[in-house]
Amino acid sequence: MTDQAPSETQAPEGGGRRDPLSMLFQSGAWRIERRLIVRPWHEVIALIAALVAAVAIIAGLVLFIGKSPADSFAALYNGAFGTRASTLETLVQATPLILTGLAAAIAFRAGVWNIGGEGQFFAGVMGTWFVYDLWGGLPAPLLFLLMFIFAAIAGAAWASVASGLLVRYGTNEILTTVMLNFVILYILSYLLAGPWQSPDTFYYQTVRMADTTYLPRFFTGSRLHWGFAIALLAALVVYWLIRRTTLGYEIRGIGSNVVASRYKGIRVGTVTLATMAISGALAGIAGAGELLGLHHRVQLDIAEGIGFTGIIIALVARLHPLGVIVAAILFGALVNGSTAMQYETGIPKALVFVIEGTTLALVLIAAMVTRYRIRKAG
Amino acid sequence: MEDLFTSAVLVGIFWATLRIATPLLLAALGELVCESSGILNLSLEGTMTMGAFAGFYVANETGSILAGLVAAGIGGAFLSLIMALMTVTAKVNQVVAGLALNILGLGLAFFWYRSIYEAEGSIDIPTVETMQAPFEFFPIPWLTILAFVMVPVVWVFLYRTKYGLELRSVGHNPEACDMRGVGIISRQYVAVVFGGVMAGLAGSFLSLGSTGLFFPDIISGRGWIALAIVIFGNWRATWVLVGSLLFGFLEATQLALQASDVDLPYQLLLALPFVLTIVALVFNRSRSNVPLSLTIPYHRGER
Repeated sequence: MTDQAPSETQAPEGGGRRDPLSMLFQSGAWRIERRLIVRPWHEVIALIAALVAAVAIIAGLVLFIGKSPADSFAALYNGAFGTRASTLETLVQATPLILTGLAAAIAFRAGVWNIGGEGQFFAGVMGTWFVYDLWGGLPAPLLFLLMFIFAAIAGAAWASVASGLLVRYGTNEILTTVMLNFVILYILSYLLAGPWQSPDTFYYQTVRMADTTYLPRFFTGSRLHWGFAIALLAALVVYWLIRRTTLGYEIRGIGSNVVASRYKGIRVGTVTLATMAISGALAGIAGAGELLGLHHRVQLDIAEGIGFTGIIIALVARLHPLGVIVAAILFGALVNGSTAMQYETGIPKALVFVIEGTTLALVLIAAMVTRYRIRKAG
Repeated sequence: MEDLFTSAVLVGIFWATLRIATPLLLAALGELVCESSGILNLSLEGTMTMGAFAGFYVANETGSILAGLVAAGIGGAFLSLIMALMTVTAKVNQVVAGLALNILGLGLAFFWYRSIYEAEGSIDIPTVETMQAPFEFFPIPWLTILAFVMVPVVWVFLYRTKYGLELRSVGHNPEACDMRGVGIISRQYVAVVFGGVMAGLAGSFLSLGSTGLFFPDIISGRGWIALAIVIFGNWRATWVLVGSLLFGFLEATQLALQASDVDLPYQLLLALPFVLTIVALVFNRSRSNVPLSLTIPYHRGER
């Protein structure tokens, strides 16, 4: 599923009859051709243009439903960064997004389309609860360690179902990871309706976990917990892994050219399995962090699209681990600010998805457009 | 268990199979045409949600199901036109573009729905009249009939018309087509937009054809299953029909099991279609008919 890497050489343009639509883009006087060198300022200008266009489109949409874009954006911004408390809450929202963003970024780097971040997040939540349920009486440091390890293992295992089928049978991993998202959600809903259900309620949820399993918080009055530090650490580790290790080299290798990598002696299957295991583990750790840092009980709505947003974050960050931190904080701000926006202006929070989709689409188009230029055909 | 095999239940399962297969078949046939031109449109889930909402909204406003269907088609076409702009013209990676448009489609539908029907805490969500069956002895809505009629239509189009042949050639070997003067861009636009219209109609079947309602997760994975059906069906219209019926049958049986007093947790039955999709993909691995240039953007004059 990897994008073919086109060569930079220019061959003479092929002739032939032109159809009306291609006339628009390749008319006689002007032609579109690939730039030989894309300069950083091209990319910066294109990125700014894309963001401006995204803001304009969203503003138009807000205007269309009869609200004031200026008020809405102000409410969004104030909700996200207006006060110290709201800024810290933005970081709380960004915490799991950093991890699921990294999960998507490392898999996409290898050209493996892991769309299963959401399911692997649930696997992590379930792994954490499993340990708590079984060995809840252990001393805190050991229990924390075990819970995070099991969350990582559970996430990795769930991702490995898809990568195992991919490597062994060539089954399309996009579809298997998506299907596995649904499967684990139903498994969890079965567990929450039966074996794991809290006895004192008919809601689909477990009992509240003991205070000793709460991740410590940095400041009083804010929900920002140690999960944020773990997420930042994970970003550094992934950065180091991709840039500085043999595995990272091989991941980038199979991501850019599978055939060449195979000739070079890289075991593509093994690297694919390792990448997906790491990817799933990161999403699983995100699940553990949310459970232990915020929710303290397993519920079906614990993920809230965190796995899917991670995919968008990875793509907006151009799959760069440190860029993921920045993008995750931006998207965390969107999620956080949109709550205030809905409260103050009545604009539905679902606008966040529209902003995410529009921004990503425009950023992608901008990134491609910078590689081309329009020239007068000589 | 016995009551599951009484004739009334079996007949019920038969009609339910056809109804459940309808959105899968419509979306998968559209995606088949789209992929035949070499463009993978992963945004079926989002496009179907758009269609489901647009159909519901317009049918509710105008009181006409037909107007709702037209709106659903336009909604699907709108999203797929963006898809075509991104992948055919801007040559963005098709997987990435599909993921972006999935979020956009879902987001737009949720956003409109919430801003129209759930603003200021109102929970007065309307239901619309659902499609009627045209004949009394034939208890399926006419969109289902259309879906089945589309199978031979798509087959004839792809295999027995000049345009269809050219479209498939574009999906296999765009260089050769360009050399022969077959316009690639227009054919890919047509195929992608056709896929979008079909996905929009497929989505509207769920809101207008069966429930008369819209809710945000109304599609709940059917777009992805339709994508799997195209692979399972080895990019052939007939096998896409078989795949859709198979999933329809399994889902109908699952529903009948839920209704009967069989002691199985219903969550596991709900997970069944997704597990079976994976199993089907693992066991059916013939790829003999896959468009060779699927997901590979064509750059004129570059190799």
